[in-house]
Amino acid sequence: MPGLSETRCPLCNIHALNSLCCFFNNKTVKHTKPFSPVFKQEALSNMDDYDKTCLESALVGVCSIVQQEWGGAIPCQVVLVTDGCLGIGRGSLRHSLATHNQRSESNRFPLPFPFPSKLYIMCMANLEELQSTDSLDCLERLIDLNNGEGQIFTIDGPLCLKNVQSMFGKLIDLAYTPFHAVLKCGHLTADVQVFPRPEPFVVDEEIDPIPKVINTDLEIVGFIDIADISSPPVLSRHLVLPIALNKEGDEVGTGITDDNEDENSANQIAGKIPNFCVLLHGSLKVEGMVAIVQLGPEWHGMLYSQADSKKKSNLMMSLFEPGPEPLPWLGKMAQLGPISDAKENPYGEDDNKSPFPLQPKNKRSYAQNVTVWIKPSGLQTDVQKILRNARKLPEKTQTFYKELNRLRKAALAFGFLDLLKGVADMLERECTLLPDTAHPDAAFQLTHAAQQLKLASTGTSDYAAYEQNITPLQTDFSGSSTERM
Amino acid sequence: MKIFSESHKTVFVVDHCPYMAESCRQHVEFDMLVKNRTQGIIPLAPISKSLWTCSVESSMEYCRIMYDIFPFKKLVNFIVSDSGAHVLNSWAQEDQNLQELMAALAAVGPPNPRADPECCSILHGLVAAVETLCKITEYQHEARTLLMENAERVGNRGRIICITNAKSDSHVRMLEDCVQETIHEHNKLAANSDHLMQIQRCELVLIHTYPVGEDSLVSDRPKKELSPVLTSEVHSVRAGRHLATKLNILVQQHFDLASTTITNIPMKEEQHANTSANYDVELLHHKDAHVDFLKSGDTHLGGSSREGPFKETITLKWCTPRTNNIVFSSISELHYCTGAYRISPVDVNSRPSSCLTNFLLNGRSVLLEQPRKSGSKVISHMLSSHGGEIFLHVLSSSRSILEDPPSISEGCGGRVTDYRITDFGEFMRENRLTPFLDPRYKIDGSLEIPLERAKDQLEKHTRYWPMIISQTTIFNMQAVVPLASVIVKESLTEEDVLNCQKTIYNLVDMERKNDPLPISTVGTRGKGPKRLKGILERGKEELAETEIIKDSPDSPEPPNKKPLVEIDETPPVEKSKGPVSLLSLWSNRINTANSRKHQEFAGRLNSVNNRAELYQHLKEENGMETTENGKASRQ
Repeated sequence: MPGLSETRCPLCNIHALNSLCCFFNNKTVKHTKPFSPVFKQEALSNMDDYDKTCLESALVGVCSIVQQEWGGAIPCQVVLVTDGCLGIGRGSLRHSLATHNQRSESNRFPLPFPFPSKLYIMCMANLEELQSTDSLDCLERLIDLNNGEGQIFTIDGPLCLKNVQSMFGKLIDLAYTPFHAVLKCGHLTADVQVFPRPEPFVVDEEIDPIPKVINTDLEIVGFIDIADISSPPVLSRHLVLPIALNKEGDEVGTGITDDNEDENSANQIAGKIPNFCVLLHGSLKVEGMVAIVQLGPEWHGMLYSQADSKKKSNLMMSLFEPGPEPLPWLGKMAQLGPISDAKENPYGEDDNKSPFPLQPKNKRSYAQNVTVWIKPSGLQTDVQKILRNARKLPEKTQTFYKELNRLRKAALAFGFLDLLKGVADMLERECTLLPDTAHPDAAFQLTHAAQQLKLASTGTSDYAAYEQNITPLQTDFSGSSTERM
Repeated sequence: MKIFSESHKTVFVVDHCPYMAESCRQHVEFDMLVKNRTQGIIPLAPISKSLWTCSVESSMEYCRIMYDIFPFKKLVNFIVSDSGAHVLNSWAQEDQNLQELMAALAAVGPPNPRADPECCSILHGLVAAVETLCKITEYQHEARTLLMENAERVGNRGRIICITNAKSDSHVRMLEDCVQETIHEHNKLAANSDHLMQIQRCELVLIHTYPVGEDSLVSDRPKKELSPVLTSEVHSVRAGRHLATKLNILVQQHFDLASTTITNIPMKEEQHANTSANYDVELLHHKDAHVDFLKSGDTHLGGSSREGPFKETITLKWCTPRTNNIVFSSISELHYCTGAYRISPVDVNSRPSSCLTNFLLNGRSVLLEQPRKSGSKVISHMLSSHGGEIFLHVLSSSRSILEDPPSISEGCGGRVTDYRITDFGEFMRENRLTPFLDPRYKIDGSLEIPLERAKDQLEKHTRYWPMIISQTTIFNMQAVVPLASVIVKESLTEEDVLNCQKTIYNLVDMERKNDPLPISTVGTRGKGPKRLKGILERGKEELAETEIIKDSPDSPEPPNKKPLVEIDETPPVEKSKGPVSLLSLWSNRINTANSRKHQEFAGRLNSVNNRAELYQHLKEENGMETTENGKASRQ
């Protein structure tokens, strides 16, 4: 980037712009504190003016700041304030866009942002001015590159403080309005603010491209122990803050004590009126449970107590992925019903058992002793097991045949008949190596097993049937009373 | 994310022609003699797998990994081709498991080396593969039914993985042309059919395999678009472990998998039980489990794994738990988890792998630490099993946007200290959920949705549910508790009725004996007319049955008469002096309720029988009684 030394931090790069890329600070908009890590007013006044507009560098800077600070999963609103001039020559937005297709992995264009984002471009110019050049097209291209996430704002009428304020007012209305909802548990209800605002979610861009939005009625459908819900994956987490509304539905206060005196009295009253959120939070915390909440059709979430420190804790809501079965270990959400409908309490009379987790129909490979012989060691281990048990016949007859049949099945499926022959030879050799002290049954079983494997290795007759198992030879060495035939 | 991408349907076409019975010429020693026991014995000659065996076990491994990680919605159809096509299973979910496939393969058996090679061809299988791709899966059917007029949004794409031994590059062209031609024909057929779907995109993956040591007659070719519907790629691979490695790479590409190696897993040695060594286990899972690494660029790549030079794995360190904690991470801890992905061990039967998986299957979880360049330690993942399935959970390790939130005690209702926390806990336990897997029907024959039943129950159980102790008398009375638990039931048993009667007689008895009501000392402020009415009516319901209390000397008139009049005649209740009668409690509440509606004259507030006493300050200060006006602070 010309005119700037390489050692500058990304923040400085952002400073060095005619078009100032700015984050809202918490004095501007309430409740945006988490989204505004960068600027304080002092910092703004300390900034120098530079003579080159370099939007791409600014966006790269935003990328790295956000990722370092918040990672790649937290939604972030990026507000770009510009006069609509895009710079000239190298580093200008026109140049950036023109070379967009020639990027390698190392100098990737910063859009789309590698985190969920909205790019709001605030133009200090009116539409006519922008349309006289290709500025607007270029800026629109930026929004397109951010997968259409974002919007361009322009000034209505002449450039003056009032019109600029009204433009930012529109942004605030669009992006920063609090999300109010009613939390319900049957007849128990509370007005709440959900913070941050839950984002719309697209389940499958192809078959269901319409983003899903959560209901403003958050209806609790039942409760589950924390151990049963077991750290489920969630799309996002939100604070659920009880709020006091007046008759017109305007927010009177959050009950949080503020310095402001007028609010103080209203908040104090709100603090003393029993609120369902507080009751729910207290019981969830004490019982170690979560409340399952319905957010929309086939969309659920959970409410739980989240402790920030030993003293502070809060009611939180996490959103599951929309769909009929967000958590495999709970099964289909619609199939969850009240325990009173069950014949007997699935949690047991002494609360000592649980209907969760649900077991899947088929076991996974690591839970079902599958046979894999891709590495020679896999095959060798299986053969060794048979051999070990062969040397402990007749005590290990059952295990011997179990392992033998496992090997036989796999060999038949893989068409690996040479192995069956090989193992048969091996068992015959073992037979000849039996010590004189060996039980006579050992020799019988080894010979029988070898014979059966040889028959299976022909691959033709009934002996190679997959479902059929080699069964132990029926011998009777148990007592002297019965004569052998 | 698309459900119906190319990986929704995978068709394996494996060559079963006589040539595939050839040896792969890679020997396997299977007779590993134990040294001290078998001196002088020559081990049995090593054996080698056929091209067929190599192809089948590699494709089974592909399926094993796929089924482990995507047990649903990713389907495989297995076709074997010789003198005809043998389709071994269907798209149906119940056909989608290794056991079914293994049994079907065993029934086919190895290729017959003495069969006439002229009759056999891989083409039969490829034609059948295209045919099967046109068949609708149950998921496609379900989605189409659900979307109604938007049914066309349901895509039909698929992948054909063909393992064969081709003669030359032109032979490969011929196979591609055949697939292209067949798709064209079948798409025409499908256009006129309800139960077939046209193929929108098909990825053909041709794998030419040949014995180790021979020269390949076919050259590799990266993915190429043959038509808007068909792309094709050619891999020329030596049989044996090379083929297995190739399919392992392919399954990762096809299903967006990534590899994580868990290092430093402490394991007891078999021979030396008191020493433990550290082992590594490599797992595969969806690559989204690495999303934070990929984006932040702070990846710690563990270098190429031993398996092959193509694959990169991310190393995460096993976090040895604190001693005395057998269950590694406390189960009842709720981690902030941004994703959970099923895993499959790369080397499923190796001792370290099975040790790790058995440890997890026994219900324990383990936290994993991400080594960072800076040397700082961050817990980034957790391995945990749920119902016999192991998941890699991604734990959020970046800064939270909800730092230092206000405590709930600072907000609305935060100053109230007598919430019925324990009672609501009991309520929650009674309203826990449980799965109902078998469909249930309502009386009218319609399907009953258990979750709706759960909501109905919550509605019923909360019709009267005071939130704070000082708001309720009956829930504080042990004598009434049986009634409260019975009142929410759908139907009463004989026993319940008896229980009710007993409770009521007991109450009557208490009334006669002038037993005091248990009034909370926390304060008796009413919380508005609505709730008061609730109490009155509930009281009425409970009392009306016997009508005895009504006639007893201290009991009030039914509330439908003008309660205000009566209140006028009752002296103000003395607060905080313990037991009071039901009437005085009641009138006190009504008084409180009324006092909130308008500002009461100071004189009347302190009056007795509406007669204000003049010059009251002449009396002793402490001899006065002020009626609570709702604004008084609580103790």
